[in-house]
Amino acid sequence: MAQEKGTAVPALLSKAELLKQGAEARVYRAEFLGKPAIVKERFPKRYRHPVLDEKLTHRRTVQEVRSILRCRKAGISAPVVYFVDYTSHCIFLEEIVGSSTVRDHIVSTQQSCKDQELERLAQRMGQILARMHDEDVIHGDLTTSNMLLRRGVKDEESDLVLIDFGLSYISALPEDKGVDLYVLEKAFLSTHPNTEALFQKLLKSYTASSKKSSAVIKKLDEVRLRGRKRSMVG
Amino acid sequence: MHLTQELELFPEHRVTLLLFKEVKNAAELRKSAMEGKINGALINPTMLVDPFQVLVAANKAVHLQKIEKMKTRNLYSEIIFNLSPTNNISEAFKRFGISDGDDSVMVVVVHNKDESQLLTDIVAKVDGRQVSVEDISSLSDSAKIKKLYKVTPQEEKCGTLLDAVVCRMATKDVL
Ligand SMILES: Nc1ncnc2c1ncn2[C@@H]1O[C@H](COP(=O)(O)O)[C@@H](O)[C@H]1O
Repeated sequence: MAQEKGTAVPALLSKAELLKQGAEARVYRAEFLGKPAIVKERFPKRYRHPVLDEKLTHRRTVQEVRSILRCRKAGISAPVVYFVDYTSHCIFLEEIVGSSTVRDHIVSTQQSCKDQELERLAQRMGQILARMHDEDVIHGDLTTSNMLLRRGVKDEESDLVLIDFGLSYISALPEDKGVDLYVLEKAFLSTHPNTEALFQKLLKSYTASSKKSSAVIKKLDEVRLRGRKRSMVG
Repeated sequence: MHLTQELELFPEHRVTLLLFKEVKNAAELRKSAMEGKINGALINPTMLVDPFQVLVAANKAVHLQKIEKMKTRNLYSEIIFNLSPTNNISEAFKRFGISDGDDSVMVVVVHNKDESQLLTDIVAKVDGRQVSVEDISSLSDSAKIKKLYKVTPQEEKCGTLLDAVVCRMATKDVL
């Protein structure tokens, strides 16, 4: 396809540091108006019809920035949106400098056997996800890699920052929230072996924090059952 | 005193911010700007939290100019429009442009590498005292800013007022 006439973003990205090449998007590190930034670029999927592809990609970009704003307004940390280019489907975000993923943090903390610290972290994750779901934001791709820990100032607890809202959407349905938790449970338990009890702590804290948790947990149980049946058949 | 930032996306462009206090000719400046005789955007600094807010508006304006999608007549009106949380153009000018009685003004100039003459011209036109751009925080009216951008107390727990403002500016076209 001919390059979008006018947009300067591709030229910048050609010189930026590529952090991740995904199936839907590339993630770069770049400077934006003097600040460290992360650029997320959604690229065309060649197997899709170009018009449909353009529509879907645009919608995903819009949903991503809307969900980030909605979370931030509710006091849930997510990167600041600096700039969006809807012609090259790029989002410029605040880089959470000096952060580590929750995934890496759990792996290193497990090795040093600091169980209490992990439990506190699981509780915080539960609280934040409960608040996010109470705002009807469905993340769509919850994993421990899509949560960052920003080192706190002084002795404060480090801040938990949600990232990668690329598959997110708005829904009030307990089913959608249950599936969101199910996706996390699958990812959590397969990434971090022997953490069933830890994940239960997360769910307990979710249940205690969300006003609408009972319907969601019920759906989670249903989805688990469905998942198990399916895998027995398949 | 002034602040010049390169636009990484448009390496041939620079944005320079100049801040003036004790301005006595705001009405005249506004008239000149409307007649296109001033090469810059004249902004009411009480609605500004930080120079970065203005840079974000300027970057977006240059971008929209390049892709021919500006919502207003020229680059400088577009910068003022981009500062506003809403898509109402006249409201944006009322809130973020200067008014005849104002005694402080932020001037935003977009230029290429060779800037000196442009800046000298602006400084000559303003009857006021140039101060450091970093002084912007002493002029900003955060209560008014929070009200206009509808910033909630919860949101300030997970970030600064600047974060909240920039997020709204960057996403207002799709809200
Ligand atoms: N806003 C951000 N600040 C810091 N690192 C980030 C940010 N966004 C993404 N990353 C890093 O880039 C990786 C891929 O991003 P993503 O595809 O959004 O999950 C993440 O696992 C993080 O390590």
